[in-house]
Amino acid sequence: MPDDFRTLLALVLVFVPLSLLSIGGGASLLADMEHQSVTVHRWTTAREFADLFAISRAAPGPGTMLSTLIGWKAAGCTGALTATVALYLPSSLLVYGAARLWGRWRGSVWHAAVERGLAPIAAGLILSGGVAVLRVSPGGAAVWMAAVAATVLLLRWPWLHPLALFAASGALFGLVGLW
Amino acid sequence: MSKEARLGAVSAEPDAEVRADHRIGLPAIFAAFFWLGVTSFGGNTAAWLYYQIVQRRHWVTDAEFLSDVALGRIAPGSGGVNLTVQVGQRLRGGAGAATAVVGLLSGPLVIVLALAAAYTRIGWSPAAHAVLDGIAAAAIGLTFATGLKLLPSGSARLGPLAVTLATVLCVGVLRWPMLPVVLGLAPISIGLALVQGRNA
Repeated sequence: MPDDFRTLLALVLVFVPLSLLSIGGGASLLADMEHQSVTVHRWTTAREFADLFAISRAAPGPGTMLSTLIGWKAAGCTGALTATVALYLPSSLLVYGAARLWGRWRGSVWHAAVERGLAPIAAGLILSGGVAVLRVSPGGAAVWMAAVAATVLLLRWPWLHPLALFAASGALFGLVGLW
Repeated sequence: MSKEARLGAVSAEPDAEVRADHRIGLPAIFAAFFWLGVTSFGGNTAAWLYYQIVQRRHWVTDAEFLSDVALGRIAPGSGGVNLTVQVGQRLRGGAGAATAVVGLLSGPLVIVLALAAAYTRIGWSPAAHAVLDGIAAAAIGLTFATGLKLLPSGSARLGPLAVTLATVLCVGVLRWPMLPVVLGLAPISIGLALVQGRNA
Protein backbone atom coordinates (compact mmCIF):
# COMPACT_ATOMS: atom_id res chain seq x y z
CA MET A 1 0.00 0.00 0.00
CA PRO A 2 1.57 3.34 -1.02
CA ASP A 3 2.33 5.83 1.72
CA ASP A 4 0.04 8.65 0.66
CA PHE A 5 -2.90 6.27 0.39
CA ARG A 6 -2.15 5.07 3.90
CA THR A 7 -2.18 8.66 5.16
CA LEU A 8 -5.54 9.34 3.50
CA LEU A 9 -6.96 6.20 5.07
CA ALA A 10 -5.65 7.32 8.46
CA LEU A 11 -7.34 10.71 7.99
CA VAL A 12 -10.64 8.98 7.24
CA LEU A 13 -10.27 6.71 10.26
CA VAL A 14 -9.61 9.72 12.52
CA PHE A 15 -12.28 12.11 11.25
CA VAL A 16 -15.24 9.79 10.56
CA PRO A 17 -15.60 8.79 14.25
CA LEU A 18 -15.08 12.42 15.28
CA SER A 19 -17.90 13.41 12.92
CA LEU A 20 -20.36 11.07 14.62
CA LEU A 21 -19.19 11.63 18.20
CA SER A 22 -18.92 15.41 18.18
CA ILE A 23 -22.24 16.07 19.88
CA GLY A 24 -22.79 19.56 21.20
CA GLY A 25 -20.10 21.47 19.36
CA GLY A 26 -16.45 22.14 18.98
CA ALA A 27 -14.67 22.01 22.35
CA SER A 28 -14.39 18.25 22.81
CA LEU A 29 -13.72 17.87 19.09
CA LEU A 30 -10.75 20.21 19.35
CA ALA A 31 -9.07 18.22 22.12
CA ASP A 32 -9.46 14.98 20.18
CA MET A 33 -8.12 16.50 16.97
CA GLU A 34 -5.11 17.84 18.81
CA HIS A 35 -4.35 14.46 20.36
CA GLN A 36 -4.70 12.59 17.06
CA SER A 37 -2.76 14.98 14.85
CA VAL A 38 0.04 15.91 17.27
CA THR A 39 0.59 12.84 19.45
CA VAL A 40 -0.78 9.84 17.58
CA HIS A 41 -0.11 10.54 13.89
CA ARG A 42 2.38 13.44 14.06
CA TRP A 43 0.76 15.26 11.17
CA THR A 44 1.60 18.57 12.92
CA THR A 45 3.72 19.77 15.80
CA ALA A 46 1.97 21.34 18.81
CA ARG A 47 3.01 24.80 17.60
CA GLU A 48 1.75 24.16 14.06
CA PHE A 49 -1.55 22.91 15.46
CA ALA A 50 -2.03 26.16 17.42
CA ASP A 51 -1.24 28.17 14.28
CA LEU A 52 -3.66 26.14 12.17
CA PHE A 53 -6.34 26.66 14.80
CA ALA A 54 -5.84 30.44 14.64
CA ILE A 55 -6.01 30.35 10.83
CA SER A 56 -9.19 28.25 10.86
CA ARG A 57 -10.83 30.81 13.14
CA ALA A 58 -9.87 33.63 10.79
CA ALA A 59 -11.44 31.96 7.76
CA PRO A 60 -15.19 32.23 7.10
CA GLY A 61 -17.39 29.18 7.20
CA PRO A 62 -19.47 27.02 9.48
CA GLY A 63 -17.75 25.74 12.56
CA THR A 64 -14.35 24.28 12.14
CA MET A 65 -12.29 24.14 8.97
CA LEU A 66 -9.47 22.90 11.18
CA SER A 67 -9.86 19.34 9.88
CA THR A 68 -9.24 20.71 6.38
CA LEU A 69 -5.93 22.23 7.47
CA ILE A 70 -4.81 19.10 9.31
CA GLY A 71 -5.56 17.06 6.19
CA TRP A 72 -3.58 19.58 4.14
CA LYS A 73 -0.56 19.28 6.45
CA ALA A 74 -0.77 15.50 6.36
CA ALA A 75 -1.30 14.92 2.63
CA GLY A 76 -1.62 18.14 0.63
CA CYS A 77 -4.77 19.13 -1.24
CA THR A 78 -6.07 15.54 -1.49
CA GLY A 79 -5.64 15.29 2.25
CA ALA A 80 -7.52 18.55 2.79
CA LEU A 81 -10.47 17.32 0.73
CA THR A 82 -10.41 13.87 2.35
CA ALA A 83 -10.40 15.24 5.90
CA THR A 84 -13.19 17.74 5.12
CA VAL A 85 -15.45 15.09 3.61
CA ALA A 86 -14.62 12.61 6.39
CA LEU A 87 -15.61 15.15 9.05
CA TYR A 88 -18.79 16.50 7.47
CA LEU A 89 -20.29 13.65 5.42
CA PRO A 90 -21.22 11.13 8.16
CA SER A 91 -22.97 13.66 10.42
CA SER A 92 -24.69 15.23 7.40
CA LEU A 93 -26.07 11.85 6.29
CA LEU A 94 -27.33 11.21 9.81
CA VAL A 95 -29.13 14.56 9.98
CA TYR A 96 -30.51 14.07 6.48
CA GLY A 97 -31.97 10.71 7.47
CA ALA A 98 -33.41 12.13 10.68
CA ALA A 99 -34.95 15.09 8.85
CA ARG A 100 -36.59 12.82 6.26
CA LEU A 101 -38.01 10.52 8.93
CA TRP A 102 -39.26 13.53 10.86
CA GLY A 103 -40.88 14.98 7.74
CA ARG A 104 -43.11 11.92 7.43
CA TRP A 105 -45.03 12.91 10.55
CA ARG A 106 -45.77 16.38 9.23
CA GLY A 107 -49.38 17.31 9.85
CA SER A 108 -49.78 15.31 13.07
CA VAL A 109 -50.53 17.06 16.38
CA TRP A 110 -47.24 15.75 17.77
CA HIS A 111 -45.15 17.07 14.92
CA ALA A 112 -46.56 20.57 15.37
CA ALA A 113 -46.11 20.47 19.15
CA VAL A 114 -42.50 19.29 18.94
CA GLU A 115 -41.63 21.98 16.41
CA ARG A 116 -43.33 24.68 18.46
CA GLY A 117 -41.74 23.35 21.63
CA LEU A 118 -38.24 23.35 20.17
CA ALA A 119 -38.52 26.92 18.84
CA PRO A 120 -37.91 28.78 22.15
CA ILE A 121 -34.99 26.43 22.89
CA ALA A 122 -33.49 27.16 19.46
CA ALA A 123 -33.74 30.91 20.08
CA GLY A 124 -31.95 30.38 23.39
CA LEU A 125 -29.23 28.31 21.69
CA ILE A 126 -28.62 31.05 19.10
CA LEU A 127 -28.20 33.64 21.87
CA SER A 128 -25.97 31.26 23.86
CA GLY A 129 -23.82 30.76 20.76
CA GLY A 130 -23.19 34.50 20.67
CA VAL A 131 -22.22 34.51 24.35
CA ALA A 132 -19.87 31.55 23.85
CA VAL A 133 -18.03 33.16 20.92
CA LEU A 134 -17.80 36.43 22.83
CA ARG A 135 -16.25 34.62 25.78
CA VAL A 136 -13.42 33.00 23.80
CA SER A 137 -12.73 36.09 21.70
CA PRO A 138 -9.18 37.35 22.29
CA GLY A 139 -10.19 40.97 21.60
CA GLY A 140 -11.38 41.87 25.11
CA ALA A 141 -13.70 44.72 26.12
CA ALA A 142 -13.60 46.43 22.71
CA VAL A 143 -15.15 43.34 21.11
CA TRP A 144 -17.90 43.23 23.75
CA MET A 145 -18.77 46.87 23.16
CA ALA A 146 -18.71 46.54 19.37
CA ALA A 147 -20.89 43.43 19.55
CA VAL A 148 -23.51 45.22 21.66
CA ALA A 149 -23.38 48.26 19.36
CA ALA A 150 -23.86 46.02 16.29
CA THR A 151 -26.81 44.27 17.97
CA VAL A 152 -28.54 47.59 18.69
CA LEU A 153 -27.87 48.92 15.18
CA LEU A 154 -29.24 45.78 13.50
CA LEU A 155 -32.37 45.71 15.64
CA ARG A 156 -33.01 49.44 15.24
CA TRP A 157 -32.41 49.54 11.48
CA PRO A 158 -33.28 46.11 10.02
CA TRP A 159 -32.48 47.27 6.47
CA LEU A 160 -28.83 47.67 7.44
CA HIS A 161 -26.79 45.04 5.58
CA PRO A 162 -24.78 42.93 8.06
CA LEU A 163 -21.84 42.75 5.63
CA ALA A 164 -21.55 46.55 5.62
CA LEU A 165 -21.44 46.40 9.40
CA PHE A 166 -18.80 43.62 9.33
CA ALA A 167 -16.64 45.71 7.01
CA ALA A 168 -17.06 48.92 9.04
CA SER A 169 -16.26 47.17 12.30
CA GLY A 170 -13.25 45.37 10.78
CA ALA A 171 -11.91 48.64 9.35
CA LEU A 172 -12.42 50.46 12.65
CA PHE A 173 -10.57 47.79 14.64
CA GLY A 174 -7.81 47.67 12.02
CA LEU A 175 -7.29 51.44 12.18
CA VAL A 176 -7.24 51.48 15.98
CA GLY A 177 -4.88 48.49 15.92
CA LEU A 178 -2.45 50.22 13.55
CA TRP A 179 -2.54 53.40 15.57
CA MET B 1 -31.72 27.29 -18.78
CA SER B 2 -34.77 25.70 -17.25
CA LYS B 3 -37.71 27.50 -15.77
CA GLU B 4 -36.47 26.55 -12.34
CA ALA B 5 -33.12 28.18 -12.89
CA ARG B 6 -34.82 31.39 -14.02
CA LEU B 7 -37.00 31.35 -10.95
CA GLY B 8 -33.89 30.86 -8.88
CA ALA B 9 -32.24 33.84 -10.54
CA VAL B 10 -35.27 35.99 -9.81
CA SER B 11 -35.37 34.84 -6.20
CA ALA B 12 -31.76 35.90 -5.71
CA GLU B 13 -32.91 39.51 -5.96
CA PRO B 14 -33.49 41.25 -2.64
CA ASP B 15 -37.09 41.35 -1.47
CA ALA B 16 -38.22 38.93 -4.20
CA GLU B 17 -41.35 36.98 -3.40
CA VAL B 18 -40.72 33.27 -3.71
CA ARG B 19 -43.85 31.21 -3.98
CA ALA B 20 -43.85 28.05 -1.94
CA ASP B 21 -45.46 26.05 -4.76
CA HIS B 22 -42.49 26.61 -7.08
CA ARG B 23 -39.40 24.55 -6.50
CA ILE B 24 -36.22 26.51 -6.19
CA GLY B 25 -33.49 25.61 -8.71
CA LEU B 26 -30.27 23.85 -7.69
CA PRO B 27 -28.04 26.63 -9.17
CA ALA B 28 -29.88 29.18 -7.03
CA ILE B 29 -29.45 26.98 -3.96
CA PHE B 30 -25.75 26.58 -4.69
CA ALA B 31 -25.25 30.31 -5.22
CA ALA B 32 -27.13 31.25 -2.05
CA PHE B 33 -25.22 28.83 0.17
CA PHE B 34 -21.86 29.56 -1.44
CA TRP B 35 -22.34 33.24 -0.60
CA LEU B 36 -23.49 32.25 2.87
CA GLY B 37 -20.35 30.16 3.39
CA VAL B 38 -17.82 32.77 2.37
CA THR B 39 -19.49 35.54 4.39
CA SER B 40 -20.25 33.74 7.66
CA PHE B 41 -17.66 34.71 10.23
CA GLY B 42 -17.30 33.83 13.88
CA GLY B 43 -19.41 30.69 13.87
CA ASN B 44 -22.67 32.55 13.22
CA THR B 45 -23.89 30.48 10.26
CA ALA B 46 -27.37 30.16 11.82
CA ALA B 47 -27.82 33.92 12.18
CA TRP B 48 -26.50 34.59 8.70
CA LEU B 49 -28.65 31.83 7.21
CA TYR B 50 -31.68 33.41 8.87
CA TYR B 51 -30.90 36.78 7.34
CA GLN B 52 -30.13 35.49 3.84
CA ILE B 53 -32.45 32.52 3.40
CA VAL B 54 -35.41 33.30 5.66
CA GLN B 55 -35.68 37.08 5.78
CA ARG B 56 -34.47 38.02 2.31
CA ARG B 57 -35.42 35.02 0.18
CA HIS B 58 -38.36 33.62 2.21
CA TRP B 59 -37.36 30.08 1.22
CA VAL B 60 -38.35 28.64 4.61
CA THR B 61 -40.50 29.96 7.46
CA ASP B 62 -39.38 31.13 10.91
CA ALA B 63 -40.91 28.01 12.47
CA GLU B 64 -39.14 25.64 10.05
CA PHE B 65 -35.86 27.47 10.59
CA LEU B 66 -36.07 27.23 14.39
CA SER B 67 -36.99 23.56 14.29
CA ASP B 68 -33.99 22.87 12.04
CA VAL B 69 -31.68 24.89 14.31
CA ALA B 70 -32.73 22.80 17.30
CA LEU B 71 -32.29 19.42 15.59
CA GLY B 72 -29.05 20.58 13.99
CA ARG B 73 -27.58 21.43 17.36
CA ILE B 74 -28.70 18.22 19.06
CA ALA B 75 -27.30 16.00 16.30
CA PRO B 76 -23.57 15.30 16.05
CA GLY B 77 -21.50 17.49 13.76
CA SER B 78 -21.37 21.21 13.06
CA GLY B 79 -24.64 22.99 13.85
CA GLY B 80 -24.25 25.23 10.80
CA VAL B 81 -23.69 22.33 8.40
CA ASN B 82 -26.54 20.33 9.93
CA LEU B 83 -28.86 23.32 9.56
CA THR B 84 -27.80 23.66 5.93
CA VAL B 85 -28.51 19.97 5.26
CA GLN B 86 -32.03 20.32 6.63
CA VAL B 87 -32.87 23.56 4.85
CA GLY B 88 -31.47 22.15 1.59
CA GLN B 89 -33.61 19.05 2.11
CA ARG B 90 -36.74 21.18 2.61
CA LEU B 91 -35.96 23.11 -0.59
CA ARG B 92 -35.13 20.27 -2.95
CA GLY B 93 -34.79 16.90 -1.20
CA GLY B 94 -31.51 14.97 -1.31
CA ALA B 95 -30.12 16.92 -4.25
CA GLY B 96 -30.96 20.18 -2.49
CA ALA B 97 -29.21 19.08 0.71
CA ALA B 98 -26.07 17.97 -1.16
CA THR B 99 -25.98 21.14 -3.27
CA ALA B 100 -26.44 23.39 -0.24
CA VAL B 101 -23.66 21.70 1.77
CA VAL B 102 -21.19 21.64 -1.12
CA GLY B 103 -22.00 25.30 -1.79
CA LEU B 104 -21.55 26.19 1.87
CA LEU B 105 -18.21 24.42 2.31
CA SER B 106 -16.42 24.91 -1.01
CA GLY B 107 -15.66 28.62 -0.57
CA PRO B 108 -14.31 28.40 3.01
CA LEU B 109 -12.27 25.32 2.01
CA VAL B 110 -10.38 27.28 -0.64
CA ILE B 111 -10.06 30.39 1.55
CA VAL B 112 -8.72 28.54 4.58
CA LEU B 113 -6.10 26.78 2.42
CA ALA B 114 -5.09 30.09 0.83
CA LEU B 115 -4.77 31.66 4.29
CA ALA B 116 -2.64 28.76 5.50
CA ALA B 117 -0.37 29.01 2.45
CA ALA B 118 -0.04 32.79 2.90
CA TYR B 119 0.63 32.35 6.59
CA THR B 120 3.53 29.97 6.04
CA ARG B 121 5.10 32.56 3.68
CA ILE B 122 4.49 35.93 5.32
CA GLY B 123 3.31 35.23 8.87
CA TRP B 124 0.57 37.04 10.71
CA SER B 125 0.35 40.79 11.18
CA PRO B 126 -1.17 42.41 14.31
CA ALA B 127 -3.36 44.58 12.06
CA ALA B 128 -4.87 41.44 10.52
CA HIS B 129 -5.72 40.22 14.02
CA ALA B 130 -7.41 43.52 14.82
CA VAL B 131 -9.46 43.49 11.61
CA LEU B 132 -10.60 39.92 12.34
CA ASP B 133 -11.59 40.92 15.89
CA GLY B 134 -13.68 43.74 14.46
CA ILE B 135 -15.44 41.47 11.96
CA ALA B 136 -16.04 38.88 14.69
CA ALA B 137 -17.58 41.52 16.97
CA ALA B 138 -20.09 42.62 14.33
CA ALA B 139 -20.84 38.96 13.53
CA ILE B 140 -21.62 38.34 17.20
CA GLY B 141 -23.92 41.37 17.05
CA LEU B 142 -25.79 39.73 14.16
CA THR B 143 -26.13 36.54 16.23
CA PHE B 144 -27.63 38.45 19.17
CA ALA B 145 -29.95 40.48 16.94
CA THR B 146 -31.19 37.26 15.30
CA GLY B 147 -31.78 35.51 18.62
CA LEU B 148 -33.67 38.52 19.96
CA LYS B 149 -35.80 38.80 16.81
CA LEU B 150 -36.77 35.14 17.15
CA LEU B 151 -37.85 35.41 20.81
CA PRO B 152 -41.28 33.83 21.38
CA SER B 153 -44.10 36.21 20.50
CA GLY B 154 -47.89 36.15 20.62
CA SER B 155 -50.45 36.06 23.41
CA ALA B 156 -49.23 32.90 25.22
CA ARG B 157 -45.55 33.74 25.11
CA LEU B 158 -44.66 33.77 28.81
CA GLY B 159 -44.01 30.02 29.09
CA PRO B 160 -41.88 29.81 25.91
CA LEU B 161 -40.02 32.96 26.93
CA ALA B 162 -39.12 31.31 30.25
CA VAL B 163 -37.78 28.30 28.30
CA THR B 164 -35.61 30.58 26.15
CA LEU B 165 -34.31 32.35 29.25
CA ALA B 166 -33.53 29.02 30.95
CA THR B 167 -31.63 27.88 27.83
CA VAL B 168 -29.52 31.05 27.76
CA LEU B 169 -28.86 30.82 31.50
CA CYS B 170 -27.81 27.14 31.49
CA VAL B 171 -25.91 26.95 28.18
CA GLY B 172 -24.73 30.53 27.64
CA VAL B 173 -24.05 31.82 31.16
CA LEU B 174 -23.43 28.73 33.31
CA ARG B 175 -21.83 26.83 30.40
CA TRP B 176 -23.53 23.55 31.19
CA PRO B 177 -23.19 20.91 28.45
CA MET B 178 -25.78 21.65 25.79
CA LEU B 179 -27.19 18.19 25.18
CA PRO B 180 -28.51 17.42 28.71
CA VAL B 181 -29.93 20.95 28.96
CA VAL B 182 -31.83 20.58 25.68
CA LEU B 183 -33.00 17.07 26.52
CA GLY B 184 -34.21 18.34 29.91
CA LEU B 185 -36.00 21.42 28.63
CA ALA B 186 -37.48 19.88 25.46
CA PRO B 187 -40.15 17.71 27.16
CA ILE B 188 -41.30 20.70 29.26
CA SER B 189 -41.44 23.00 26.26
CA ILE B 190 -43.15 20.44 24.01
CA GLY B 191 -45.68 19.66 26.76
CA LEU B 192 -46.39 23.36 27.01
CA ALA B 193 -46.91 23.57 23.26
CA LEU B 194 -49.30 20.59 23.37
CA VAL B 195 -51.40 22.17 26.14
CA GLN B 196 -51.46 25.56 24.44
CA GLY B 197 -52.34 23.94 21.11
CA ARG B 198 -55.31 22.23 22.76
CA ASN B 199 -56.54 25.45 24.34
CA ALA B 200 -56.09 27.49 21.20
